[in-house]
Amino acid sequence: MKTILSMKTLLSMKKRLTMNCHYLKINTALKAVAIMVAGLSFSPSVMADADIDPPLAALGPVPIPPDNEMTPEKIELGKLLYWDGRLGGDGSMPCAACHAPELGWGYPSSISRGYPGTVHWRNSQTLINSAYYGKLFWAGGSNSLEHQARGAAKGGVAGNGESNVMEAQLGLVPEYRERFEEVFGSGLPKVENAWEAIAAFERTLVQRDTPFDLAQTDASKSLTAEQQRGQVLFEGKANCLECHNGALVSDEQYYNLGVPSNKQWETSGLAQITFRFELYAKGVTEALYRETKRDLGFYFRTKQKRDKGKFRTPSLRYVKYTAPYMHNGTLATLDDVIEFYNQGGGEDAFDTKTSILKPLNLTESEKRDLKAFVLSFSGDEILMQKPELPPSRALNYFEVANSHIDKKSNKN
Amino acid sequence: MLEKIWATTVAPVNSVKGADFAMSFTNKKYFSLRSFVTTGIRTKAIMVLACALPFGVQASKKHDNASYQLTPVTYKQPLAKLGKRLFFDNRLSGDVSFSCASCHIPSKGFSDGLSLSDAYGPLEGFRNTPTLINVASKSIWFHDGRMGTNLNDVVRDQLTDAIWMNMDMRIMQERSKQDPVYVEMFKQTLGQEPTNGGIRKALAEYLKSLQSKNVAFDQGELSAQAKSGWQLFKGEGNCTSCHSGSLFTDEKAYNIGVAEAPEIYNEPARSAAFIAFNMFMGNENYMNLRADPGASVQHHRYNADDFSSFITPTLRELKYTAPYMHNGSAESLKDAVNLHFSGKRISSLKNVSLSEEQVNNLVVFLEALSGDPLTGNDVVWPEDKPIRRSYPVIPDWQNVSN
Repeated sequence: MKTILSMKTLLSMKKRLTMNCHYLKINTALKAVAIMVAGLSFSPSVMADADIDPPLAALGPVPIPPDNEMTPEKIELGKLLYWDGRLGGDGSMPCAACHAPELGWGYPSSISRGYPGTVHWRNSQTLINSAYYGKLFWAGGSNSLEHQARGAAKGGVAGNGESNVMEAQLGLVPEYRERFEEVFGSGLPKVENAWEAIAAFERTLVQRDTPFDLAQTDASKSLTAEQQRGQVLFEGKANCLECHNGALVSDEQYYNLGVPSNKQWETSGLAQITFRFELYAKGVTEALYRETKRDLGFYFRTKQKRDKGKFRTPSLRYVKYTAPYMHNGTLATLDDVIEFYNQGGGEDAFDTKTSILKPLNLTESEKRDLKAFVLSFSGDEILMQKPELPPSRALNYFEVANSHIDKKSNKN
Repeated sequence: MLEKIWATTVAPVNSVKGADFAMSFTNKKYFSLRSFVTTGIRTKAIMVLACALPFGVQASKKHDNASYQLTPVTYKQPLAKLGKRLFFDNRLSGDVSFSCASCHIPSKGFSDGLSLSDAYGPLEGFRNTPTLINVASKSIWFHDGRMGTNLNDVVRDQLTDAIWMNMDMRIMQERSKQDPVYVEMFKQTLGQEPTNGGIRKALAEYLKSLQSKNVAFDQGELSAQAKSGWQLFKGEGNCTSCHSGSLFTDEKAYNIGVAEAPEIYNEPARSAAFIAFNMFMGNENYMNLRADPGASVQHHRYNADDFSSFITPTLRELKYTAPYMHNGSAESLKDAVNLHFSGKRISSLKNVSLSEEQVNNLVVFLEALSGDPLTGNDVVWPEDKPIRRSYPVIPDWQNVSN
């Protein structure tokens, strides 16, 4: 009872603050107060709804972690590794297998491509602008591109690679031995460095010249009338800004929208295997393993009931090229997505659905305006050719690899 | 630099000095070498020590045929049958490309006929596939003896190792649960649903069923030539100093100077597997190894005397398991026999020169240690019941328990 009351109070307070923010554009003092109030008194799920929505903004320079600086050599190495199947279990699953440039740097079916002999369980997300996320994967299971690359390369239904086998294969590529030595000074290629190089490459996959960004940064450019009407809806009647806000157009919070379950769980034996494997691998209780029939999302990480069925808000940037949509790809087009929200989202299977979603009563022309505005977050398609990969070559009998190890250890 | 590599390759030559029994038992390294091995096996070793110590090498010559007789291993038939299906099921590898039986082929004595084995995906192997016949009678497994616990562990190791079957056992379990045949077989045998532990249990049970059958030697039916070979084997040839007991192995490691297989170092696919294996075994200098470290993986000290030593293999079922030695470098039994009398790396390999007739007699004797081929439906999953790779959908999925 208490929580509900406080939530209501906070919601109304938040609304006032938000309005102020919108009209005044900046209101730092109010923001600080709101964050303090939210942070002191309420559970994260309430907090998520109670924060001030940062205004939409042009995308700034890509953040670069201090422990993985970007150099042209590192980026070039990362580009090679991104396409290299030697970083995976059977040679067929480089990063590019599920994040293909010509497919929006993602994968075109509702569910991503699975490791041979398996199927995957969630939609492949675009890599464009992924460098801006603080939380990678649909349930935010990773906090850096470096970590994400490793997780994907090793996951049972994704890359299914083992570090020693991947590292051994890299070590037998003369060009990689030279490049890793040059970039990391590591002598032999280290698989942990491979993830760093790939992340550095991925930090170049950004798009900052979309119609929306240009309208913010270039005085001579503006959104079309249709897009401008769409923006008003986005920030007002359609309430998209509640979650899709800031320069990334995502608050990186977790919500249950009631997205319908993917039908593959009921129609494919392989998918049923993967579903149970994920329950097993994510470490749920025996009871939950037996009864769960829907993706528990953020719950897998927190093991809190209130997080069942929640997924991290994705960015709306580059969505022109990344259909289908949602964590399980169940909405085929942007029109479907807009209609889904127009109806107030889907069914609440976990009693955790966000109260933000309400029927919007958008007219057809409003839907068109909204879509036009959402598409203003997408610029030209970013394409890239697969680079030619350096060949493997076994070391000659009398050849010593350029390793620090053999400098310090002459045992063998 | 050349000097260093020379040292790398040549160092093992004089490495295993504890050649005869008395010496090796008094050698402390023998025990440290067994760091992987269970207490049970240690105890056994100490018991053997107590018997063997006063007699040394001479003791082996006094063995009669009785100590070479194989004790039948008992096993549960229905569980072994479940294991049999699993053994022949490609879905027990990560990318469903091969099964246990892909490398352990029944008609080839449950080995593969290759010098060096195949391996997972883009990799190829760096050792010879050992036979699985009588595998349950062993107490230490793999050419390097790195496993000394039980068959369940051996199975787990091979299933999960990225070099071999690269199988996530959780996926393996869920695959089996999706196959109604397994669901029923598990219910009948273990009274439970398929689990990854149950799968390993069943596979180990199946391996127990792979036992030599109708062996001339066991039945006392040696030909005159084979008998001459047997006399030579026990006497002048001194073969029993290592090839003793019911499996014709003392299950200890020796370096007898088998030449390195160049493919391991020349072919990237084998080289990668070899490097990955040594990396995993904690060998720091994995990139610059030009010799197989063998049994030294048991204690992870790669400058130890047992570098490049390998566990004495069984001599049973050799008829089906060519080529021979840990890296398959001996194409025929004759080559393998000759190899033992040309090397001098351990003192029990005597510098005797055998006549061609003697070599032939030894070969005929060795062949008499092989039984009937194990290719019947009792140990082979019948071809008329193909194991499909596809899985049926579980109907009414929303309402049934996972």
